[in-house]
Amino acid sequence: MTHFDEMTCLLYIEGQLDDGRSREIGAHLAECVSCRDLLRALQHESAFLSSALTEENEAIPARILNEQGRGTPSWAWTLAFAAFAAAAYWFWTDGIGPWIDQLSNAGFGGTDVFSMIVFSGAFWEGWSDMIDAMQIGALILVAILAIGWIRRRVRRPVAVAVVMSALMFAAVLAQPASAAEVRRGRTTVIPAGEVVHNDLVVTGASVRIDGTIEGVLIAFTRDLTVTGHVTGDVIAFAQSARINGTVDGNVRVVANSATLEGKVAKNVTAIGSTVDLASGATVGGGMIALAGQADLDGKIQRDLLGIIGTGDLEGFIGGDEWIRGGNLTVASTAEIRGQATFEGPREPTVESGAKLASPMHTEITQEMRRNRMSAVRVGIRAIFSYVGALVVGLLLLAVFPGLFRAILRETGRIGLPFGVGALALITGGFLIVIAILLLIIGIGAGVAALMIYVPILYVCQIFVGTWLGNKIMGEAPAAPGSVTGAVAGRMAVGLLILHVARLIPVLGALVGLAVALWGTGAVLIGFYRMSRPEVAAPPVTPVPA
Amino acid sequence: MDARRHPEGMSPAEQAALQERIALAKTGNAEAWGELYRQHAPAIFRFCRRAMPTREDAEDATMDIFIKVRQKLSQYDATRPFSAWLYTVAANHCWDLLRRRKLRQDLETGEVENMPLEHPDPGQLERLIESRTSQQVRRALDQLPARARMALVLRYYSEMSYDEIAATLGVRRTFVGVVLLRARHQLREILEGQGGASLAAGGAT
Repeated sequence: MTHFDEMTCLLYIEGQLDDGRSREIGAHLAECVSCRDLLRALQHESAFLSSALTEENEAIPARILNEQGRGTPSWAWTLAFAAFAAAAYWFWTDGIGPWIDQLSNAGFGGTDVFSMIVFSGAFWEGWSDMIDAMQIGALILVAILAIGWIRRRVRRPVAVAVVMSALMFAAVLAQPASAAEVRRGRTTVIPAGEVVHNDLVVTGASVRIDGTIEGVLIAFTRDLTVTGHVTGDVIAFAQSARINGTVDGNVRVVANSATLEGKVAKNVTAIGSTVDLASGATVGGGMIALAGQADLDGKIQRDLLGIIGTGDLEGFIGGDEWIRGGNLTVASTAEIRGQATFEGPREPTVESGAKLASPMHTEITQEMRRNRMSAVRVGIRAIFSYVGALVVGLLLLAVFPGLFRAILRETGRIGLPFGVGALALITGGFLIVIAILLLIIGIGAGVAALMIYVPILYVCQIFVGTWLGNKIMGEAPAAPGSVTGAVAGRMAVGLLILHVARLIPVLGALVGLAVALWGTGAVLIGFYRMSRPEVAAPPVTPVPA
Repeated sequence: MDARRHPEGMSPAEQAALQERIALAKTGNAEAWGELYRQHAPAIFRFCRRAMPTREDAEDATMDIFIKVRQKLSQYDATRPFSAWLYTVAANHCWDLLRRRKLRQDLETGEVENMPLEHPDPGQLERLIESRTSQQVRRALDQLPARARMALVLRYYSEMSYDEIAATLGVRRTFVGVVLLRARHQLREILEGQGGASLAAGGAT
């Protein structure tokens, strides 16, 4: 009978062979010394391995031993809850209530709730364009979370397929946006008679549109003149912007001097050092003006909302008027159909001929009052971002506990993440610039760059906050079960402190910067550590006999 | 003997107490869960310590495993030994983590199947075992590719069956023996290297 190979021997000692084969081997072993020796050596090796592996050569870390009994300190929850309740109460009584009143005073009752609550704090209605970018960022974050969740359940190829198809889907979605026609050059003129059957993006020193744009016009230029017809919106960043033509959509313009002489079917948002609505101009919707000086001689069918240093009202306002500023003159030619309100340091001048539906409601603002108002607004924004960050943080903690802890650990190292974060943010700054440049060329590519950047910048506060909470309340008990609750409590406290700190004028900005640097570094290192390959084993080289 | 690794190796009364505790923990009883944790966390930590490359990894993995265990407790089938189930959860978790770190240096199936293993000289093997300490073995273990190390840990620490190992590592059951044997060979080679002298080895005997 032949000897057995090592494999068979191993399977034999491990009891992995069927009865017949086992008996065969048993019989062979009885008469074969060399096989018996091999068998014994392998058995010794197994026993040696078992004892080496099970030997209690090191103590169980205290972190693991001590944690299980402790729950979250109840005061942490109490504090977090109380803070939240107080914030919510304040939010409703001081924030939303007067705000909604004020908004409806200003004739903003009709806009949708979301943009009213979140973005009317920023008077620039053009924020609604920015919302898209932020929503895309949020969607991407959710998508990343979803992919992570799927990946934990499905094996790799499927996850890859999901990611790929999601990316392709995103690319397809971005396609229409990037399909806009782009024109560059020192001077761009769309002559009268020419029709652009597309959205148009133009850059250059001077842009003149005498023809027709069947779509949105986006212009980055020094001088913009529109005498033609734009069927969509006009979005312009210019030193001087003059719109004499017809715009069927909205006009949103940021310019040193913005002049409107034509007909705008929808709303106008104008930010500039001087904003002129010439007497021939008509605005079909409402107008928002942020201006050092504004001459509003034209016709505004709906409401006017303005923050204006020096304002002259000579035209027609179909809805309410609300202006905050330094000086306001309502000329005799003016007509205001709705409620007229002015907030400023002195009484507005209302000339005798002016037709006001009701007397001008005036509020004389003191410096104190102004500060309080803006503090309320800043506070509301802080609460929003606090609650948002907390929700995202809890989501991260629930879906990726491992990654969360890895990043948190990196956060604790302070120095390294700071350096890495600074580096990343500087390159990131370039990325953003490139992204913006790419926005002109292709929105898809710009969004792709933002995709990486926005979520990271957003989540860094979560980790720094949790770290801070840990410092204040002691390391989170890493006990199973209670771990999530305890970390969540610390996250709530830490984030609250961060958000409160951010409200402090100068310090707040520094805190924000520090959090961004530090957190970004930690997130990047954490990601790196999670994905890094294991420390490679030195190549096993057989020793020559 | 090994009450630490297999708390079921205990009296029927203790068994009953354990099952009762599990049942209580399933209902959300924090105290019962705490007891379960205290009883099993050290063994699971040691398991992770062997399976994962660093101590920090092992601590984190232990935490995460118990979070999973608590979530999945309702799925535990009381007819199976509790610790075996626990090890299954732990093994899957650790293997998942290791796999995710892209085991590039891992010599995958092809090599294991293709490279013939030298028949060892029993005398040399015995001498090698005698001349090495447990600590040296553990250190050598750390140098093994992840799958080889995992296989050894699953078999000789958790005492898993070949079926369980096959399921965890995602290999065919008939392949488990090959993985284990190959791992033992690699371990021997590393141990020989450590000792400096070539006691047995790749060469012909």
